Parts: sequence; structure tokens; C-alpha cells
Amino acid sequence: MTSSVAGGPRSIRDDDVVVTGIGVISSIGTGVAEFAAGLRAGRSGVSPITAFDTSGFDHANGCEVTDFDPGPWVRTLDPASLGRAAQFSVSAARMAVEDAGIEAAELAAKRMLVSIGTTDGESSDLDRVVAADLAGGSDAVDPVVAGRTSASRLSVAVARELGLVDVETMTIATACAAGNYTIGYGYDAVRSGEVDMVLCGGADALCRKTFASFYRLGTIAPDVCRPFDADRQGILTGEGAGVLVLERWGDARKRGARVYARILGYGLNCDATHQVAPDQDSVARCMALALENAGVKPDEVDLISAHGTGTRANDLTESSAIREVYGGKPPRTISIKSMLGHAMGAASALGAIACALAIHRGFIPPTINHRRTDPELGIDCVPNTALDVAPAIVQNNGLAFGGNNAVVILGRHEEENP
Amino acid sequence: MTASVEQRVDRIKEIVCDILELEHDEVTDTGLFKEDYGADSLLSIEILSSLEKEFGVVIDQAEMSRMVNMEGVVEVVTEAIDRK
Repeated sequence: MTSSVAGGPRSIRDDDVVVTGIGVISSIGTGVAEFAAGLRAGRSGVSPITAFDTSGFDHANGCEVTDFDPGPWVRTLDPASLGRAAQFSVSAARMAVEDAGIEAAELAAKRMLVSIGTTDGESSDLDRVVAADLAGGSDAVDPVVAGRTSASRLSVAVARELGLVDVETMTIATACAAGNYTIGYGYDAVRSGEVDMVLCGGADALCRKTFASFYRLGTIAPDVCRPFDADRQGILTGEGAGVLVLERWGDARKRGARVYARILGYGLNCDATHQVAPDQDSVARCMALALENAGVKPDEVDLISAHGTGTRANDLTESSAIREVYGGKPPRTISIKSMLGHAMGAASALGAIACALAIHRGFIPPTINHRRTDPELGIDCVPNTALDVAPAIVQNNGLAFGGNNAVVILGRHEEENP
Repeated sequence: MTASVEQRVDRIKEIVCDILELEHDEVTDTGLFKEDYGADSLLSIEILSSLEKEFGVVIDQAEMSRMVNMEGVVEVVTEAIDRK
């Protein structure tokens, strides 16, 4: 991490990091246009889970990507050689590159970083391997499925699909904050000049293991996810991928790229206080770190895209930490997990993309399924209806098991400034 | 206490001791799992799910507020078995 530059975040420098491409696969829409429309409309991605057998569970809703076809995106590799999460990461990366308007040859000549965050990797394939092994012994295990299971493939497959040669590939497995971790890592790599361009984000596919674990913890909502609501009942597991193209403003300007937003900075910490319970002080410290790194004062932030899982523990801890940093009147604090469920390793990447689109298109996505805000929380979660308000600086929270916290600050890109 | 009920209590205690990593005589009927034995919410859920499996019953997670010591756990499990 670098410390804040003199003159604050709004003075533009050639080595400032900008988002110039976005790829999204989500339960509320695939591609920038559909995803943005979904966020603005407050679309719900909820449906009964079909990815695995849900018999034995009293309720099994999730936010599944029901219309995904890797065909248009996975062209070099055989889609069957990739697990569902890698199909997601590769497709979102291809989409992001096309959205950024970069030709394949141009891309192959660049020094690249591909970094994909994940919680489960290809755990749905691991579920399959274990089921086959239990039923018929190791001979019954499909070698193609077994060969897909390594989590490192989520980023390696992106490089292979896009024919990248001068590239570092890094899968970051810091669970539900992983997407933000990759953005932070990418920000440092491209800002320092170590690489020319970054493809970063997160990917996860629904799997029985994770659903069953959260179910056992009593944290799966019976119907929908209602973050910050007095009657919230928990999370819904989701899936998808979000990939961002990051480059230096100087390079983006030269090639006439469209800029969605700037990455102003980030903060990471790990308190390792508890396996699953978030720690308020540590979460507050992480937000403060991010703001300091971005050179942004709390009263300059217009919007927080919260981790907002929809559990009471998260609601109380996160809102208290926000008030600790922001004082009595924090900025509007939304949870897109109300629409997307918890897409695990993809969640904070999708969150960062939502922030970039909110900045670029000038709106604030709502927290849907909302009836009555928990009065204990002291926040405005923008219930149910998007606002036509253009945020200039937005904070994206990612808080993961094990006390892994990652916060990214994004800002509006204004070229007319000196 | 009939023999079968006694056996059941012994089996419950065995499961609890195993999960809390305690010796049989360290756990009393009223000693609190969290305050006295350092258990956390994850271990409490592990106790609940192990008991469900062992006795083939379903225990509502709301009952966790009662399952704070051996006495409470035995009560909840007994009620669940009676409901079967």
C-alpha cells in the first residue's frame, strides 16, 4: 500500500489506477448493461436451488445463475475442461477485456497480472468427486472432473484462454473478502509499474458443502435475504463472477479508453479473532486504513456498499464499525446481497463493480426485500428503490471468515481537472 | 432413573466431553459450556448436530439457548426423543 498523495485523491496523475473494463456474470444479469439495469431496478436473483440435490433441507433458496452459457466466452479452451467457477472467471475476464476495447494481440504484448479471488474454488466438483468415490470407489471418479478441482485454475485458465504470455496468475483464497483482496493486489501491481494491466475479481459457483455448512450454522434465510431489516433471517448462497480491468490513467488516456471509476485505495487486515464472528474494532480499523490509503476523509464518502450478508451478527458488527469510523451520521449504506445473495469469493468483486457503475451512471442501488430497518443499526440502507443520486466517492466492504477484512475505495474520474 | 435413560445420559455426556475435549469427571451437570469450559457458538452447534445424528432426532436451533450445560442438553434431547 502507498500512502496518500499530496493534493488528495482528486488531482489526477498518470499512475493513478482506473477501471476501464468490466465483466459480470450474476443471478440478476450478465454483462455490464444487464447487471446495471438489475441493480437500478432492484432485481432479485432468488430461486429454488437446482445446482445440487436439496432433499433433507427444510428450505433451499439461493441466487443461482440460471442462464449461463460459457459458449460465447470460452473459445480457446474446452469448456468441459473447466469447472463451473473457472468457466465463470474465464467468461467474465473475456467479457471485461472486450468491454475495455482491447484487441487480443495488444493484450498479449502487455505485462499482465491475473488475480481471481474465491471462497470455494471448484468445491462443486469436489462434491462430485467425493460422491462418486463413496458410491463406487476411486475407479468411479471421473478423471476430467478430478483434474478441474485445483483453485489455482480460476486465474491460470484466464491467462490460457486469453493467450497471455508475460503474466503472473494468482488465485487469492481469502474467502468472502477475496474479490477486494485481488483489487488491492492489482492496484499495487499496476500503480507501481510492475505490470501494465490487471484482470482482477472473484468467482464462485454454488456448492452443496457451503450451503450445508451455512444451513447447519442456522444462517440460511428461509425465503429472501433482508440485510439491515429488523426481521432479517440470514443469508442466501449465490454464485457468479466479476472481473475488472485495471490500468494506469496515463495508459488508458493514450488508448482513448472509457473510464468507469478510479481505484483510490484500499485497506486489508486480518485479526484471526474467531473463525466466523466478525470483530467490530478490526472492521473499523480496516475501513480507516482504506480511507487513509485513499487520502479520503470520512465526510467525503457518499456511499458504502456494505458486506451486508443479512445476518444479525453482520448487521450489528458492520453498522457499529461504520458508526465508529463515520460518527453519528454515516453515508448511505446499501447491501447488494439483498439482490445477489452471497456470491462468496465473487461478492466483493461484484460489489466493487456495482460501486463503479453507481459512480459512472449516477445512481445508488437499493437494499431490496426491506420492510423495517433495525433501529439499532442507525443507517439509511436505501430501502427497495434506487436513488437518482450520483455518488463521487464510494467505499466497498468485504468481511470474511477468520477476520479477513478488505475495503476498497473508488472515486469518480474527472478528466477536466488539472 | 431406568437403565436405558442412564445409558442415554452417559452417551450424551460422552459426546459433549468429546467435542469440548474434556475428561468425563471435569464436566458437571450444571457447569456452563461457554463460561466454565470455554466453548463457543461453533462447538455448541457441533454438540447439537452430533446429538441429532446419534439419537435420530431433530433439535430446533432455538433450543440452543437452553443447551448451556449438561442438565439443559439432557432435557432438550429427552424432549426431542419423546416427540419422535
